[in-house]
Amino acid sequence: MPITNLLSELGMIPLRAIAFQTMLLMVAIVLEAMVLRQQLRLGYRTSMQYAATLNLLATSLGWVAFLAVEALLPLSLRSQVISYVLFNRFYANNWLDVLPVIVVMVAIAAFFITYWIKLQGLGWLLRLLGQAPVETTAEAIEDNRRQRYARARGGQTEGQRSNSPRALAVLQANAISFTAILLLLLAHQTGGLG
Amino acid sequence: MIKQTLETLKQLLLPPRYFAWQTVIYMSLFSWLMSLLARSVDATPFTVGLLATLSWFCLALGVGWALEANKIRPFGLSIAPWVAGGILCMFLFGSWGGRWLQPALVAWPMVSFAVIALPSLVSWDFTLKTPPAPVRQQLALLFCLSLLFSSWFQFYFRIQNWVRDYPSLVADSVDNSTFVYRFPGQSVALPAGVTYLTIAEDRLQSQVNNQPWSAVERWLLNLDGQRQAMEQQVQAQMGQNPSLENSLWRFDLQPFSHGDGYTLKLWAIWSGPAASESGYFLEKTCLLMPVSRAGLVTPENASPGYSNTQWANLTCDLETPRQAGHPRDTQVRG
Repeated sequence: MPITNLLSELGMIPLRAIAFQTMLLMVAIVLEAMVLRQQLRLGYRTSMQYAATLNLLATSLGWVAFLAVEALLPLSLRSQVISYVLFNRFYANNWLDVLPVIVVMVAIAAFFITYWIKLQGLGWLLRLLGQAPVETTAEAIEDNRRQRYARARGGQTEGQRSNSPRALAVLQANAISFTAILLLLLAHQTGGLG
Repeated sequence: MIKQTLETLKQLLLPPRYFAWQTVIYMSLFSWLMSLLARSVDATPFTVGLLATLSWFCLALGVGWALEANKIRPFGLSIAPWVAGGILCMFLFGSWGGRWLQPALVAWPMVSFAVIALPSLVSWDFTLKTPPAPVRQQLALLFCLSLLFSSWFQFYFRIQNWVRDYPSLVADSVDNSTFVYRFPGQSVALPAGVTYLTIAEDRLQSQVNNQPWSAVERWLLNLDGQRQAMEQQVQAQMGQNPSLENSLWRFDLQPFSHGDGYTLKLWAIWSGPAASESGYFLEKTCLLMPVSRAGLVTPENASPGYSNTQWANLTCDLETPRQAGHPRDTQVRG
């Protein structure tokens, strides 16, 4: 059977990672689109597109970072990464005790870096689509003035809200999608989803 | 019937107008033939290369156009840019020779993205143009997606690198993994520990086999020393083909009394990443028995005392069963 031979020639394929990541991405995109749609008053289609672009950007930059960092790790730590990827567990070596701390710290750092990338990405995307308020155009100045007026009228809280509704929306979206992903990963780890 | 077939063949081969995919394929064929001709008449490598390049580009364009024109869309997805990108990658990296598959596959999604993006970014007279906003959104999405695909390919090749660095990982099961999948039914390679034990057995043969039994008893008295010496010798031998995983194998041996002689257990203990919590080790069982050489030496010409001298005879099992845990632990428990 040549097709079986070909498949076994390929060795270990990250198929499970691809399937799992596709699922997590879909969940994250849907959740974030809901948040963006509510917070930024976007259309259904637009919010989906924004959320998909931002999540794909963050994920692929995450992969690039992982692949780069993995190549630079010391051998004993690198073999722990290998152990986790291939066997879903860490093995006993001199890193074993500090690994939980490292994992938690990496997760927290990932959250903030992802947030920053998504916020920047949204800025880039809006500028690319020509929808960012560019300060020099007449409409923008008009818009700015109206905003300032609204801020003066509406008081402090209103002012803070209109200051960066985008940053707040992205933060909320990121928090929700990270929570969902964490819950799904925990469910998977405890053996729920095989 | 034949006439009908000929008719469809003619329709397929002869384009209805000049501006069709068949024309591009014919151009590709033509420049490929020209590059062959140029090579046969010893033209400069530049000419040959230029013609070949032209041929590849025309092939990519033609195949992509043909797929698009004939509405070949499996699962409703337009695969034309991916096929065209694949052909371009084969050309761009295939001409390098050597290990070209990895850069080609990693670059494939990005090249395909370029194939998709180019028509909407560059107009026919080679000036940059700005596509409308929905197209820009689409392109941004596609770019991120192709970056993700590219990362997946790269991750695949990274895993292959790991397996090359630590070949014994292949011998373990990856059923628990959340990341990788291995198609069943492939022959699983033997872990390097088998080689380890074979080397150890050779060493042991040269040290105790056919030695007087009393020397063997003395050899066994200094067990810790022998263990260390053996580990060093085996490491030195393995060091001839250095691999990262050599440092993850530990060697150990333990004699057990067995009748008049001993059973020697040689262990290669894997201390690296493993599927099971307790790890595993490979065990080789050797039988070390005293034999008297009475059969070889006839009693008449034997000097007195020679016939009852006993000699060591070492026989080792060929198989090295793999067992879970650590040998010293199982001993305590057993």
